[in-house]
Amino acid sequence: MTAPAAAYGRPARVLLLIALRIRLEVLEWSGTWWFLFTLVIQAVLGPLIGMFVWSAVYPADSSIATYYVALLLVTVMTESFEQFTFSEKIYDGTISHDLLRPQPVVITTIGTNIAIRIWLTVMGIPIAVLAAFAFGVSLTWAAALSALPVFVLGATLSFCWIYTLSLTAFWTERVHSIVGFGWTLNSLLGGTIAPLAFLPGPLQDIARVLPFYGMLGLPADVAAGRVHGLPPVLTGLAYQAAWIAVLVTSAVLLWRAGIRRYTVVGA
Amino acid sequence: MTYRAPIRGAGWRETLSSVFNRRYREVPAVQNVSFALAPGEVVGFIGPNGAGKTTTMKILSGLLHATSGQVQVLGYSPWQRRSAFLRRIAFIRGSQPVGGSQELTVLDTLQYQRLLYEVPLAEYRRNLDELTELLELEDLLQRQLRALSLGEKMRAGLALSLLYRPQVMFLDEPTLGLDVTGATTMRRFVAEYAEQTGATVLLTSHYMADVASLCPRLVLIDNGKVQYDGQLDELAAKLSPYKLVRLTAPNADEARLREAGELIEASNGTWVLRVPREDVARTTARLLTELDVADLAVEEAPLDVVIDKAYREGVG
Repeated sequence: MTAPAAAYGRPARVLLLIALRIRLEVLEWSGTWWFLFTLVIQAVLGPLIGMFVWSAVYPADSSIATYYVALLLVTVMTESFEQFTFSEKIYDGTISHDLLRPQPVVITTIGTNIAIRIWLTVMGIPIAVLAAFAFGVSLTWAAALSALPVFVLGATLSFCWIYTLSLTAFWTERVHSIVGFGWTLNSLLGGTIAPLAFLPGPLQDIARVLPFYGMLGLPADVAAGRVHGLPPVLTGLAYQAAWIAVLVTSAVLLWRAGIRRYTVVGA
Repeated sequence: MTYRAPIRGAGWRETLSSVFNRRYREVPAVQNVSFALAPGEVVGFIGPNGAGKTTTMKILSGLLHATSGQVQVLGYSPWQRRSAFLRRIAFIRGSQPVGGSQELTVLDTLQYQRLLYEVPLAEYRRNLDELTELLELEDLLQRQLRALSLGEKMRAGLALSLLYRPQVMFLDEPTLGLDVTGATTMRRFVAEYAEQTGATVLLTSHYMADVASLCPRLVLIDNGKVQYDGQLDELAAKLSPYKLVRLTAPNADEARLREAGELIEASNGTWVLRVPREDVARTTARLLTELDVADLAVEEAPLDVVIDKAYREGVG
C-alpha cells in the first residue's frame, strides 16, 4: 500500500479506501467487544425465537431448524446500523470531518458497516454452531456456497435499505423510529418471524417481490437447501439487483438533497 | 446564506394549526459578504458571537452550500468538495480538533491520513519528524485520541491537518480552551507554518492575542455583513484616536502629568496617559524634557478595547 494510489484507476482507489477504512474501523471497534456482543445477542434473538416456535409447531420438519440457523448467520453477517454510525454524525455535526476528507463520505459508512459485520460474524458463529448442535442441524458446504451470490446481494441490499432510511436524518430527528419501522418490515416480510412459505398466499407473493425477503429469507432458504432448481434463485437475484438499483438511486438523490440542507450543528 | 427555520405561536391552537400548515422564516446568516485573500496572506476574520464567521468558514471549506452568491477557493467551488480541492485545504476547529475514530492512536491516525491524502512515504517521514518536534508530539504518538486532553487534541489535530501540507488553512477558534503555553505554541506554530510554506490562513478567534500576533489584515464581520476589511493598525488608528503613553517617573508631579494628557492609571511611580495621536510626539518630548523619566513607552490602545468599540459602535 506504499505505491501512490493515484496510479490506480478510480474503482481501485475506491476499493483501496474502503479496505483502509475497514482496517481502521476493525481496530476502532475492537475496543468495544462487549458492546458488539450485545448487538449479536439482539441480532440472534429473532431467529432463535422463530426456530423454537416453528420447530415446536412442525416438529417433523427438520428443514425449519436448518433454515433458522442459516438465517441466524445471515442476520449477524448482514446487520446494518447506519442510524447510529451515520445519522448520529449528522445530528452531532461530526460528519463534517468526513465531508472534509478527499473521499466520498459513503466510504466511511461502508467501512464501518463491514467492520461491524466482521466482528458480529466472529461473535455470531459460535452461537450458530451451538444452535445447530442443539437442534441437530447440518448445513452442507455445497448449499452454503450456492447461497453465496444471493447472500452478497442480500448483504448489499440490507446496507442500501438501512442507509437510505438513515439519510432521512437530514430532515427529521426521528430517524431511529423510521429505521425501527424498516426493521419491523424486515422481520415480518423478510422471513424472521416466519419462513416465507408459512405466510398466507397473497402476502407470500407480495413478500417475494419486496426487498426484505432478498435480504434475509432468500439467502437462508438457499443455504438451507429449501430452494429447488435454478429459476427461483435467478428470479431472487433479479429482484435483489432491481431493488439495489432502486435504493442506490434513492440514496444518491436523498444525499444530494440532504447535504444542501445540512447546517453543521455544533461544529 | 439563509436558513429556513420553522416558526409557530404558543398554545394548543397554534400547535394543532402548525401540524397542517407549517410556517417558516428565512434567517439570514451571512449577507453580501465579499472579500478576497491573496496567496500567503494571514487574515483575521473576527466578529461578535453570531456574526457569521463560522458560517462563512464552513462555506469556504465546502461544508455548507451557500444559498446565493459565488465562492471560489483555489479556483474551486468549495461546496462541490472535489477531491483535488479537499487535499489542498484544512479546516481546523478548536471545538472539534480531531474527528473520526477516537479509539485509535495518534500514530495510527497519522498513517491513515498519509494513505488517504497519498503523501509519499519519504515526505510523510520528513513531515512527521518536523511536526513531532514543533508540536512536541513524541509522547502523544502512542496514545489513543480519546485519551488526549484538549490541548493535546489540538496539537494532534494540527499535525493531522498539516501532514499533507495544505495551501489554505481555515482556523476556527484554534486556541479555544488552551492554556497560555498551549495558545502561545499554537500561534508560533501557525506563524512559522505560514511563513515556511506560503500557506494562506484565515483565522477566527475571540482572543485578540491570536489576531494581534498572527494577522496583519483584519476582516471584521457583524450581522452577516463585512464591517471592515483592512490593516489591523489602521483599524486601531480609526477607532482609537488616542495612544497610551506609559512612563516611569517616581518623582513626577501628578498635576503636571494631567496637563500632558488624560491620566488613566497610576501605580508606584508608573503612570499611563491617554494622549491624542497627533499630540503624541509633542507630549513625549515635553515629558522627557520636564520630568525625571526613568522609562517611557508609547502603546496602541489594547486591541480588545478597539474591537469591542467596533462591535458596539461600528467602524463607521
